[in-house]
Amino acid sequence: MANKNIRSLSYRKELDDNLFENITALSKKKVSSKEFHNLAKRFMIDDSVVIGTASFYDFLRPENQEKKVHVCNGTACMVAGTQDQLTEKLSTLVDADKIGHVPCLGHCHKNNAFLYNNHTYSAHSIEALEKIISDTPALENTYYIGSSSTPILTSKIENITEFYTLFESYIKHPEKVIEQLKQSNLRGRGGAGFPFYFKLDAVLKENETQKYIVCNADEGDPGAYSDMYLMEHQAHKVLFGMLIAGKTVGANTGVLYIRGEYPNSIRKIKQAIKQLEDLNLLQHFRFKIIRGQGAYVCGEETALLNSIEGLRPEVRVRPPYPAQYGLFGKPTVLSNVETFANIHWILKHGGAAYAALGNGKSTGTKMVSLDSYFNRPGMYEIEMGTPLKSVIEEYGKGFKSEIKALQIGGPLGGIVPIHKVKDLTLDFESFTNHGFLLGHASIVSIPNHFPIIKFIEHLLEFTADESCGKCYPCRIGSHRGYEMLKKAQNESYKIDRQLFNDLIETLELGSLCALGGGVPLPIKNALQYFEDELKEYFK
Amino acid sequence: MKAYINDTAHSIIKGETILDFVRRVENREAIPTMCQDDRLDNFGSCRVCSVEVAKEKNGSTKTLASCHTPVTEGLYIYHNTDKIKRLRKNIVELVLTDYPTDKLVAPENKAPTEFQKTIAQIGIPTIRYPKGDNHLTIEPDRAHPYIKSDLSQCINCYRCVRACEEIQGEMILNMSGRGFATRIIKGFDTTFDESACVSCGACVQTCPTEALTDKFETKTLIPDKTVQTTCTYCGVGCQLEVAVIDRKIRGIQAPKTAEVNEGHTCLKGRFAFQFYNHPDRLREPMIKKNGTFEVVTWEEAYDFVAKKLLYIKNKYGANAIGGFSSSRATNEENYLMQKMIRVAIGTNNIDGCARVCHAPTAFGMQQSFGTGAATNSIEDLKEADAIFLFGANPLKGHPVTGAKLKQAFMKGVTSIVVDPVKTTLAKLATHFLQIRPGTNVAILNMMAYYIITENLVKQDFIDTYTEMYDDFKNHVLALDMDALSELTGVAKTLVKNAAIAYANANRAMEFHGLGVTEHFQGSKTVMLLSNIAMMTGNVGRKGVGLNPLRGQNNVQGAADMGVQPHQGAGYLDVNDPEIQHYYAKKYRINKMPEKEGLKIPDMLNAAIEGKLKALYIMGEDTIMTDPNTNHSIKAFENLELIVVQELFMTATSKMADVILPASSYFEKNGTFTNGERRVQRVNKVIEPIGNTKPDGQIIIDMMHKLGYTQPTGLTYDAAKIIEEIADVIPFMKGLTWERLGTNGLQWPINADGTDTKTLHVNGAFKKGKGTFHHFDFEESPEIVEHGTNYPFILTTGRELEHYNSGTMTRRTDNQYLLAKDYLEVHPKDAKRKGVTNDDMVKIFSDRGSVTIPVKISKNVKKGVLRTTFHQPEVFINIITGSVGDKETLTPEYKVVAVDFEKI
Repeated sequence: MANKNIRSLSYRKELDDNLFENITALSKKKVSSKEFHNLAKRFMIDDSVVIGTASFYDFLRPENQEKKVHVCNGTACMVAGTQDQLTEKLSTLVDADKIGHVPCLGHCHKNNAFLYNNHTYSAHSIEALEKIISDTPALENTYYIGSSSTPILTSKIENITEFYTLFESYIKHPEKVIEQLKQSNLRGRGGAGFPFYFKLDAVLKENETQKYIVCNADEGDPGAYSDMYLMEHQAHKVLFGMLIAGKTVGANTGVLYIRGEYPNSIRKIKQAIKQLEDLNLLQHFRFKIIRGQGAYVCGEETALLNSIEGLRPEVRVRPPYPAQYGLFGKPTVLSNVETFANIHWILKHGGAAYAALGNGKSTGTKMVSLDSYFNRPGMYEIEMGTPLKSVIEEYGKGFKSEIKALQIGGPLGGIVPIHKVKDLTLDFESFTNHGFLLGHASIVSIPNHFPIIKFIEHLLEFTADESCGKCYPCRIGSHRGYEMLKKAQNESYKIDRQLFNDLIETLELGSLCALGGGVPLPIKNALQYFEDELKEYFK
Repeated sequence: MKAYINDTAHSIIKGETILDFVRRVENREAIPTMCQDDRLDNFGSCRVCSVEVAKEKNGSTKTLASCHTPVTEGLYIYHNTDKIKRLRKNIVELVLTDYPTDKLVAPENKAPTEFQKTIAQIGIPTIRYPKGDNHLTIEPDRAHPYIKSDLSQCINCYRCVRACEEIQGEMILNMSGRGFATRIIKGFDTTFDESACVSCGACVQTCPTEALTDKFETKTLIPDKTVQTTCTYCGVGCQLEVAVIDRKIRGIQAPKTAEVNEGHTCLKGRFAFQFYNHPDRLREPMIKKNGTFEVVTWEEAYDFVAKKLLYIKNKYGANAIGGFSSSRATNEENYLMQKMIRVAIGTNNIDGCARVCHAPTAFGMQQSFGTGAATNSIEDLKEADAIFLFGANPLKGHPVTGAKLKQAFMKGVTSIVVDPVKTTLAKLATHFLQIRPGTNVAILNMMAYYIITENLVKQDFIDTYTEMYDDFKNHVLALDMDALSELTGVAKTLVKNAAIAYANANRAMEFHGLGVTEHFQGSKTVMLLSNIAMMTGNVGRKGVGLNPLRGQNNVQGAADMGVQPHQGAGYLDVNDPEIQHYYAKKYRINKMPEKEGLKIPDMLNAAIEGKLKALYIMGEDTIMTDPNTNHSIKAFENLELIVVQELFMTATSKMADVILPASSYFEKNGTFTNGERRVQRVNKVIEPIGNTKPDGQIIIDMMHKLGYTQPTGLTYDAAKIIEEIADVIPFMKGLTWERLGTNGLQWPINADGTDTKTLHVNGAFKKGKGTFHHFDFEESPEIVEHGTNYPFILTTGRELEHYNSGTMTRRTDNQYLLAKDYLEVHPKDAKRKGVTNDDMVKIFSDRGSVTIPVKISKNVKKGVLRTTFHQPEVFINIITGSVGDKETLTPEYKVVAVDFEKI
């Protein structure tokens, strides 16, 4: 495992005087190199560590420090076609060179999204934009919230103190927690679907005094905003899950790594932690929020750990797994927001009750985000196994315009042509068996008029932009792929199909993590289902 | 446990990766790699090591990177399928889209790089991608004297970044940006020269392309031959692989198979070799006639010296002659030198530069344990759970061991540093006791006190294996901790916590340097360090013990060979008639000199008194390196004959009557013994430069002229002299040139050739029982006599770039890296004296004064100054004093009462 020395030095100051937060603070202050040098000295590392880290993140790069407004260029806003106009209008209010970009703000349900002064907005009229730029009002990101059979994640918490009393019956019996979770067959909701109890069990068995719980709230998939919903509306479900996981495995610290594009989520989680403090419900557990600084790859678990440590968020090799060598090299339970949010219900109603919901190996419910092409966009809690068709028609109320395909599960999720919708049910197995991916179950609609070539160019551009740069296939391959697709659209150049296939195979087989390894799936779907549309670009 | 390679079963080793497994069973080329280096943690960036694996024969396969995937029982591995070959070739094609097309194969006059070999093995594909973004126009960085970068050839394997952190323990190199835009940076995105780079060259050696190269282009040389030898700088004893073209040394690499340095070395070992054929090298014998040196033949020089020596011997007796031997020369040469003085001249007036460094270690450890050498081996660092570093700055003085210590410190091993200077290791340490220079005995008494009062002594060990503990205990318990705390300047709780940390460790390993020995109470400090180790049971196992960091490459060896006035080869007492008889028999003479000889300071005093008339000096710059220069000069001026064997015209050479030009270590065979008692071969790389001869040859010739014929013949043959040494020194019985192989042997070397990594195993102390001694702190006479008039304490040390008096390193590009000695001054003292960085100050003591530029530093406490002694422009020893360790007379370089003022 690389970087053991830096990791260990960072651990000396751990979370309270955190290296990453220090680098963040200095980068945003636009201080002299002397201050970066002093920071490095204080941590007994070299300058290159500090600026190597800073140079990685969109929000920390020196060239982005002048940007005041960040316009969303995520998939949903792109297919909605709202952003060019938005940028044009904004540039009448703000210098054009002070407008930057950000990949998805979780406003996929209404688009026209931008980040300004630590708030996210959707607005398109010039009057509304003027008011935002001058007043920075605190506006709620509102959308329809619905659920299918049993609301687990979307049910309301009536009384916080009462909600946490469940804690008492489990505090002395870690084995019971693991037993219930095992029975529930709760699988990680970040996309990989790994049985959750297994992680707890593995960390419990590690013989270390320092252990961590880490909540991956770096919901970077453009089109997905379910973690945002959970943090902003169901914070205590998330916190309870982390707390009980900590008490179960012997960890006294929980870190929430929340992406910087979700400023309101950070505020809501902070408030919730404050409530716990005020109500004396913390049980000597320490919560720490780490704010992401604009890097999609931090959603990858090992990159996320490196990020908290102040290292460059490059993907680590596995093994060792986070359960053995996680945050600061200590045993760590790392899972997604939605996974943690399920725990309370499971422990309250029993693992069997949870397992009774869903479809085979995919138990419980799944949060599904619908974009603005739906007649009723919003956030839905859908029981696993529900036909995709009914998600679209019953809950989303169908589409506003002609849709030719859906990208489900983020930028690395499959492109489902509309005629395949009828074959799919909302669960891990159905998607995998049909050559798609449930992922985080966000749905972005690709309208008939939107060229597929542009869509896959967007996916490769996104991958190239967000690649950590560590492994060769992803670092070079995604960039070359993007260059070829762009060239084929703008010049008389035709892509060598054999070369393109080789590239896709190289990415798929050779990449270190799911970013380079995952982007071939939607591209292969596109090549398979939209061959007619694409063939003019290839030779 | 078995796994399958292409359906054939092979045994697997627990913990190995698929890559390790396949390479072990087949060969290194079985799976190509780019980002992998055996010395670095697996990284998984290049992916060309990918293989297909299946859970059953002909089962469905997964493609995995073999370098970071453990091999598991029953795994089926297919590493050369069409799919894998295609994947590798496609990755290479991607890499080559951002790599200079004229660097795909090596030009005729260069050896291929590792990358060129790898792509040739995989097959260089035609690049089908259209021209796109690239890094081909990155400006090269040629500012550093040794290390160059041309990142247009960088393949982003991160090996340099990882080598910097994982091998050297620095973090000068890193990646910047992300995705395709990533690129290597140095420090604050600057040049190697401007960065804090320590110039170790680990990055250059591991870089698989020519993105990083050294000035000598070592990696791509096509040498006529390469010779492995032992480095001449410092007591670590790195193995070096020297490339020779046209009888010239062209570059040095660190061999990965070397146990001592495991493919690493420092900027001195790797780069600082250009002194060997510097124009300043003395090339001809010379005799001073009427104040100027005239070139003479060897015959003339020998005759002149022999005649004069015999004349002095006849007139004043043999004891009017003395010899200084050199810790930089080989064991064989040191052995011959002491033999010449004792046998051919007939006096025990033989001493060496250990007198000015580790003589107290040898003496003190002999008193405590019975053997004056490191009890353990450096490799034990891996097993120690506490490290106690006392008065040493190995990051500067012993860089390869220093890097290992730094790695351990950074990773959080319990670490205790005692030093008046806040060194980098002190900053990283768990416990740092920044003492006032000269209070070592006081701080160790405090540590012992707390180990006793906290009930952390290992009474079983003490009762069974040691003696005199109770006296020590009673002595320590009677001491006043408040008074000692006041004296040392260190709070009691800090000392107590450090003592507890040391005593609580399962395996606590001690290292010390000249900050222990170069003191008025140097030997006493060594004995107290021994006490601390014994009272906690930290002797005689792996990962514990006392481990002196030897200053020069062969300090250990010179002492082993008998370069001291009271002990002959193998540390036998020369005052003992039986021993005299033993030596006489071995040396085939009738009679050995009867009483022990004079130590260097005594010899200098004897010269002033007119009792010593001639000095024969081999490879020592006494004038520059010994304290109180004016005193040394006075002594030299009083002599009738000064003979100097040297590489360069040093301050000492200038005072010689006869200069005998010696060959450097590149030009001869022999052995050096490193700080862990490891005797390693020095192999001749080139023939002697000019009309020089190896020191060993000169001594044999000289002895012959003096009437003693070396039994191994008149030609210096290291292997034959080793035979003689093995016959004389009891603990080297099994030593032979052949047995030394490439990694040497650690003494005691048994008759069957087996060697010894740990001494005093299981409480079996060499002297029978380990002995506790006890001492009170005593203020140095330097402070007592001069402290009032000269209120600052000056302490001296080494810088990384230079080696002692700099005769070698100043004649290399290291001088561009660091050209000056500085005086480190605490900011408050600087303010009071009205000086700032680079101001010249006059620093003066009771002996004299020198001028030196100032560097303001918080690494020294108020009232303490630090400097180095590399540059003759400063000549710091003009102001150092004559106080020395009571038992061994080792000078107290570390405590000099001074004052300074701006000029």
